[in-house]
Amino acid sequence: MPVFKTPFNGYSVRFSPFYESRLAVATAQNFGILGNGRVHVIDLAPTGPVINELIAFDTADGVYDVAWSESHDSVLVAAIADGSIKVYDTALPPQSNPVRSLKEHAREVHGLDYNPTRRDSFLSASWDDSVKLWTLDRPVSLRTFREHAYCVYSVAWNPKHADVFASASGDCTVRIWDVREPGSTMVIPGHEHEILSCDWNKYDECLIATASVDKSIKIWDVRNYRVPVSVLNGHGYAVKKVKFSPHRRNLLVSCSYDMTVCLWDFMVEDALVGRHDHHTEFAVGVDLSVLVDGLMASTGWDELVYVWQQGMDPRAS
Amino acid sequence: MATTQSPSPPNSNDDKPQADSEVVHEANQVQQDVGAEAAKHSVPASVFVNSEPMREDQVSNAVKFLSHPKVRGSPVIYRRSFLERKGLTKEEIDEAFRRVPDPTPSSQPASLNQDGQEKSSSNVQTQAPIQTPQPVAVAPAGIASSVTVARRQFHWNHAVSAVGLLAASGCGTALLIKKVIIPKLKLWVRKVVLEEENDYAKKIDAKPSLVEEAAAAAKAAAAAASDVAKASQEMLNSKNEERRRFEEFMNLMDVQMQEMKSMSNSIRKLEGQANSSGRAFSDHDDHRVSSSSTKQSYANGKVDVNVQPGRSSTPPASAEPPHPKSYMEIMEMIQRGEKPSNIREVNDMPPNPNQQLSNPRIAPRTKPWEAQNGSRHQVLQSQTSAEGLNQNGRDNGLNYLLDDESSTPWWQRKNVRITEIENEDEVKATGPFGVRTNEQPPPLVQRTWVPPQPPPVAMLEAGEAIWRPKSAPKETATQEQSADDQSAAHPSEVTDELQRITKMSESAGAVEMNGGFSTGSSAVKQEQENSYGEN
Repeated sequence: MPVFKTPFNGYSVRFSPFYESRLAVATAQNFGILGNGRVHVIDLAPTGPVINELIAFDTADGVYDVAWSESHDSVLVAAIADGSIKVYDTALPPQSNPVRSLKEHAREVHGLDYNPTRRDSFLSASWDDSVKLWTLDRPVSLRTFREHAYCVYSVAWNPKHADVFASASGDCTVRIWDVREPGSTMVIPGHEHEILSCDWNKYDECLIATASVDKSIKIWDVRNYRVPVSVLNGHGYAVKKVKFSPHRRNLLVSCSYDMTVCLWDFMVEDALVGRHDHHTEFAVGVDLSVLVDGLMASTGWDELVYVWQQGMDPRAS
Repeated sequence: MATTQSPSPPNSNDDKPQADSEVVHEANQVQQDVGAEAAKHSVPASVFVNSEPMREDQVSNAVKFLSHPKVRGSPVIYRRSFLERKGLTKEEIDEAFRRVPDPTPSSQPASLNQDGQEKSSSNVQTQAPIQTPQPVAVAPAGIASSVTVARRQFHWNHAVSAVGLLAASGCGTALLIKKVIIPKLKLWVRKVVLEEENDYAKKIDAKPSLVEEAAAAAKAAAAAASDVAKASQEMLNSKNEERRRFEEFMNLMDVQMQEMKSMSNSIRKLEGQANSSGRAFSDHDDHRVSSSSTKQSYANGKVDVNVQPGRSSTPPASAEPPHPKSYMEIMEMIQRGEKPSNIREVNDMPPNPNQQLSNPRIAPRTKPWEAQNGSRHQVLQSQTSAEGLNQNGRDNGLNYLLDDESSTPWWQRKNVRITEIENEDEVKATGPFGVRTNEQPPPLVQRTWVPPQPPPVAMLEAGEAIWRPKSAPKETATQEQSADDQSAAHPSEVTDELQRITKMSESAGAVEMNGGFSTGSSAVKQEQENSYGEN
């Protein structure tokens, strides 16, 4: 399985929704504490377990997250630690990039999500407690959602309802929003500790998974949000990111500060169905390909990006 | 998108609280008005809204919490956040805020404080013959007012001034008592002595009576002295009591302060990165920096992560995950004020902020879940120019695929299912990538960029049978949701061939479909009819 070495510590990895073999990686120098950042666009070579870098973009501050546009195959957006969002177009010559710098957040932008149904807008989650809605054609945000009492770490569009999204925050709540409403429509006090990530089930739009510092992942049904549908324990430390599979209804993947990437089936009693401990530092980014069933990627502070097929060992060569 | 599971129609989420709550404030709340309007405008069957009635016990608990003096001093956002974490809904929180009597915290304590100060100052300064009970009465009044001042608003200023008032009034009363009682005593003693002398002069022989009188006088003096002593003792006691009460109160406040601190600390416990308040050397919000006081709370013997002006990305919960050694080194460097040496000056501003994005070369692809559910947001929707539909860009990875038609790319080879993790070793043995033949075709994965052909009619009919029952309510829901949006036009105007063929092949189905669609915008129906016309 191929490995890609980044010069900086990895923070996020995302498959392209247009090209099966393409990924974007967000990295930050010095573990994201202080320093530059870099966005890598990498391609998987079909013949062998090799990853080639297509292009890389340097940034003044660390990059915490990256998201591909759903409308333009060559465009991606990057969340920068100085509070700005940079838009890159890989089809343009490198000296024309970045195409945009959207600076509105007062603090680090930690999460991005592009709308998969409407394909024209994206959300940014920031440590300034707010979430902002943007489109590529406007230099200013369309909406600001400010209700959380602490950093918003992650934001996720509902895969079915184009106007609904969820935000996960350090104030230990997950909020469900509707862009047509002025405020949040639901508050789920999911955990006793900070919630670092949330994601919707792609096949049941009422199910949402939350990953928290309390090492657990909880699956909630928004119709009955007082009690979780399922609690997934197994990680040894805080769970940094959770993602539902685009291909299988019950499968989700998570990565944690215990340096492992775990696969779960939340409908069965013994939910942990896979575990990979290939990283030697915090595993902070994981993604499942929308185009290829079973293809997954992860990155961590050990400056490595692994891409492998589900069921295989990422370190196999 | 059925909401059959919700106990009551979500539209009533505004009605029920009104019915349940004893206090009928509803119309005044702006938020509720907006919520009501929004509820009317939005889909009546939205599952993403709270539909629970308000719980009175939760609301009363919240009212108690909000009435607490310590809580009064905290910012509103933290009070809301606390209540949210306890599981209260927005409506319950709003109701609790409404119920709590909320004197404006800034103005009243100031005025009360002034009154108290005036009283005590007049208390001290008055030199007119004041009887003993009066300063005693005024002092407790002054103390009481200072105490109420302290209750209203919790500032150390007030606490200190209250203590000062107490001391001042105590001294004042002591002084006055001395001033008053000592002259009285003296007078009285003189009187007694004079009487004694007179009596002595008169009744020289009446010694026993003199002696008796002297004894009586002494007794009286003793009694008076003891009375005075008692009075002063009582004064002291009352003062001490006041002081004690005050101290107890202060302790209570301290305890509650600690509790609030610990609450706020547990909020931001070890996520660290927010504690650190942004860039290395800039100033920060107070509420972020305050959490740096949780220095000692980590069992791990490593350097404290929390105390950093820089950014920490590690959120340990109960136990801290072991950080990389170089991470610690960098944190230490930053704490010392040094900047790591590997940072470069990078200009990442866009050279041309008005740069046009390049035209997309590929149409957006269907999501696997959309294909299964038969959603209308399907493929062939090219919102921008479709010129590059099949044109392969120079720089994409597709060149590989076109050149290498014979072998599938390694990443497409699926070998095992989720449940067969144990066979990993066998799989590895079979080849460099551990490839086995693919058992199931990946859904809708294509290797070339030909738009998917509409499936044959037979498959369509089967698909319809499965698709339609689900899709009718779903589609009405999605229809209504997007009714207000401009983008509602998009999926309908680019109604894909699939649906067109569907309608053509099943006239009965077409009626139903139209019926389903007509609940949405009429524009859609017209466009579909137009498309019929085209066909």
